Amino acid sequence: MAKNDDLARIISGCKSGDAESFSELVDIYASRLYGYFYRLTGNRETSDDLLSELFVKLVGKIRSFKGGSFEGWLFKIASNIFYDYLRDKQQQKKLFDAQKNQFESEEVTHTKESGSERIDELQIQLGRLDTDTRELIMLRFYSQASFKEIAAMRSEPIGTTLSKLHRGLKKLRELMEQK
Amino acid sequence: MTMNGETKENLMNLFEKFLNSEQAEQSVEDIQKGERILRKSAAPEPDDELIANIKSGIAASLLRKKENAFREIVYKTAAIAAGFIILAVISVKLFEVQPEKTVSSSIIPKAVWESECLADDDADSATLVADIEQIESDLLTLQSNENGGNGEAVTELEMELTEINSDFWKG
Repeated sequence: MAKNDDLARIISGCKSGDAESFSELVDIYASRLYGYFYRLTGNRETSDDLLSELFVKLVGKIRSFKGGSFEGWLFKIASNIFYDYLRDKQQQKKLFDAQKNQFESEEVTHTKESGSERIDELQIQLGRLDTDTRELIMLRFYSQASFKEIAAMRSEPIGTTLSKLHRGLKKLRELMEQK
Repeated sequence: MTMNGETKENLMNLFEKFLNSEQAEQSVEDIQKGERILRKSAAPEPDDELIANIKSGIAASLLRKKENAFREIVYKTAAIAAGFIILAVISVKLFEVQPEKTVSSSIIPKAVWESECLADDDADSATLVADIEQIESDLLTLQSNENGGNGEAVTELEMELTEINSDFWKG
């Protein structure tokens, strides 16, 4: 992870429109952001698209970053992109209602279709959690933000964030142990 | 990947704000176990090709932004320059010292004034000239008949002269 001074220098370079600084930013965050999108969508192509969209948006938005936690700010954009994706594709209903079967069927489909993309057990069990809980778990895991920052990002009290995350992770563990 | 939050904040203290000590301890344990599961199953990494595409996309986007910014500056400058030019033109028009126009209505028409031969260019003058010639001719006739002439011819001539005079001034 980039040190604070390095990150400040990179962000400053990005604000000046320096392509090299953006390149450094991609190197630092692409992996975590990709993991975040992948664990939420379970699809590599979609994750590719969302990651590309995020960095394109970042070019336009970087000047609006006024300090504070950059990770928190960046993952807030990522979270918005994810929810926009859900709305745009009208998959929210599908994700909420048919989650139990979705990833299992996707696993079969993906294995049959490409063979190159294998959905892991974690992805299947994550698919059994509701979208909000899954997003919260991924936000916490990949953004590495504090609970205070996450609660602020989600505009909810810190107690609610703690409680949701605790319940979600406990449920995930139980699902993983049941397999 | 490790949870940065674990070092940033003491989870136990955080949970103890809402739960009793035992519950807080259990909750922290649940969270840590859950996070261990996440760490064990790493998500796939983005392809190198994707990263390269993103970087080139960013470079292209930055270039477009710079071009747009330049175009915007040019447009703004042109608009400001046009504004100044319009203002200058209006100012010149407003503050221009214009020579006083003398509006004169001449009794004598321009064509008559500039004419080399009034008799040719002015119908009234032509009539007058013809009348004068007629009178001259009559006078000559009278003079030639001075001894044998009568008073009626003179009276007739006077009346004709009066008529011409009044017609002339009527226009």
